[in-house]
Amino acid sequence: MRNRKLLIAVSNSVFPVILAFVLGGIIILMIGGNPIETYGILIKKSLFTARGFTNTLHYAGPLILTGLAIAVTFKAKVYNMGVEGQMLLGGFFAGIAGAYLPEMSPILHKTICFAVAIVCGMIFAMIPAILKVKCHVNEMVVTLMLNYAMIKTLEFLTTGVFRDRSAGYVATPTIKDGAMFQRFGSSRMTMFFIISLILLAVMYILMEKSKLGYEITAIGKNPEFAEATGMRMGRKIIIMMLISGALSGIAGAGWMMSDQFKYTLSFSANPGLGWEGMLIALLGGHSPMGVFIASVFYAALKTGSDSINMYTSVPKEIVSIIQGLIILFLAVRFIKEHTQVFARTKKGEEA
Amino acid sequence: MELFSNILYDTVYHSTPIILCVLGGIFAYKANVLNIALEGMMLNGAFVSVFTVYLTGSISAGILAAVLTTLLWGLVFSLLGITGKGNVIVIGLGINLIVPAIADFVLKRMELANISLQNVSVSSMKINIPILGEIPFLGKIISGHPLITYLAFVGILFFTVLMYKTKFGVYVRVVGENEDSAISLGIRTNRYKYVAVLIGSVCCALAGVNLSLERMSMFTNNMTAGRGFIAIAAIYCGQGRPIPSVLYAILFGIARSLAVNLSVYAGPAAGLFDTIPYIIMVAVLAAVSYMKHKTVKVRGFKLE
Repeated sequence: MRNRKLLIAVSNSVFPVILAFVLGGIIILMIGGNPIETYGILIKKSLFTARGFTNTLHYAGPLILTGLAIAVTFKAKVYNMGVEGQMLLGGFFAGIAGAYLPEMSPILHKTICFAVAIVCGMIFAMIPAILKVKCHVNEMVVTLMLNYAMIKTLEFLTTGVFRDRSAGYVATPTIKDGAMFQRFGSSRMTMFFIISLILLAVMYILMEKSKLGYEITAIGKNPEFAEATGMRMGRKIIIMMLISGALSGIAGAGWMMSDQFKYTLSFSANPGLGWEGMLIALLGGHSPMGVFIASVFYAALKTGSDSINMYTSVPKEIVSIIQGLIILFLAVRFIKEHTQVFARTKKGEEA
Repeated sequence: MELFSNILYDTVYHSTPIILCVLGGIFAYKANVLNIALEGMMLNGAFVSVFTVYLTGSISAGILAAVLTTLLWGLVFSLLGITGKGNVIVIGLGINLIVPAIADFVLKRMELANISLQNVSVSSMKINIPILGEIPFLGKIISGHPLITYLAFVGILFFTVLMYKTKFGVYVRVVGENEDSAISLGIRTNRYKYVAVLIGSVCCALAGVNLSLERMSMFTNNMTAGRGFIAIAAIYCGQGRPIPSVLYAILFGIARSLAVNLSVYAGPAAGLFDTIPYIIMVAVLAAVSYMKHKTVKVRGFKLE
């Protein structure tokens, strides 16, 4: 029974991916490219070379965290779309702390930056949580709106108050060396990836083995029933949002300290680490292990897309199209949980 | 005075695409299908219209192509979300991601950074209304807008009538409020949901055309810049009623026009005007929901 459920869950994640790649292949064929060669390069350069693989892991780091931040709330059907804003706020103030604090021991400096980011993310996640619990406001709209308000505010702070005048473009000052994560050798991977793995393990225990995790699952399955059994929904929602805010804050700070080193207007690129986290959480079925696999897969697409540009005539934007198709198909459960497709084969075995 | 009339003119200018999106979204909202894809559909309208005009040179072909392709997205949305019973939020997000990706892909393929149409002049698109345009102060504000701007404002009236005075509007609202009783009455609920989404597609396509072709005769990717999400928020604040929702949309228009016009005086701080409508809306939403739930004493906590 357990195996069957897992099989359905896995096939519900894998099938949309395959479908998206097939459609992407058709597009590549239409513009006169070779889909098999293109996909070959995509996978080979991102997973099967040492340099490519470590780069993939480097990009996977913040994605694991934003994916978890989304998964922990989406699993309870609390649609927190504010991860992008929480992440940007955390990253921004981690960058400010990294640049303006005096020189100190590297570990202390990084800890302070992370702490600042966690606090920022949590405060920003508290607003929709409290509004939801106290005033029954739809959290999705509030988080969406606050995202834009946050992006505009940070844009103002970057172009005005905290602008680095010596830089030729709009950016905050570069963080001090003490706050930067050192790269491992020639690859881009840093200690931050290890930190995200540790947090992944913590979240795994929290979501799969703890009482809170059980409650999150229960709320997601049937909120009325969960409340009737005596769970304090309001408090649980606030806790979930706080965890989500803290994780997104760490993601932003880590991205700041391991890759960007300063806040620019394209800090989280397009479509943004928070939105990518949403795709990853959906792809991973809101489970921590799923999120891990999905973020490595997603990061591989990201690193591989640069190689596509280099070695084939296909524009690398094909990868974004495939990503969009994946999320589109993920919305529909092609194989229902109570389907007979697998049951029939099982019966055959028994007979 | 000059500044004041400029602000009002720009308010109309910046409100138009949001109003169109709001009008497109309210039917879906009332039919209980949350259409998050407004943003993507609007971008599709903007991209396809300019791209078609770039290829063919015909403006009417551009508008037609924009509407048709956006209808196609509406069909994809409905097929997956209504017939396939998928999660509409996720589908909407998917469309919002794919459309800019496709636009990027095509632009890269054509080796263009953005499309700007040399042979289409923006001023020729503006229509000066003969008599109204000569009223001293108001004339400048009302007259001199492109066609779709007028359509948008006429559309407010049209959609209000459609929603409250016709059988179609009543049925859509019944489907949204209680699908089971709608089915028991023999209403084909899916059909009404489809139509509600498709109305949204057409409006969003026009919003996109207005944004790119009519106002600037150029396309840069992600030029919609979150207007679709603003429209969704406006719909939520107005609870799907046409006039209040549109008023919230105009609130954004005012803020945008203040930000643009006052940037000369306030410098970069003018950008902060952009945040005001978001904060007002969150406050309004909180107040509205609080009032709604204050009088209702139900045990239990319902997630939406």
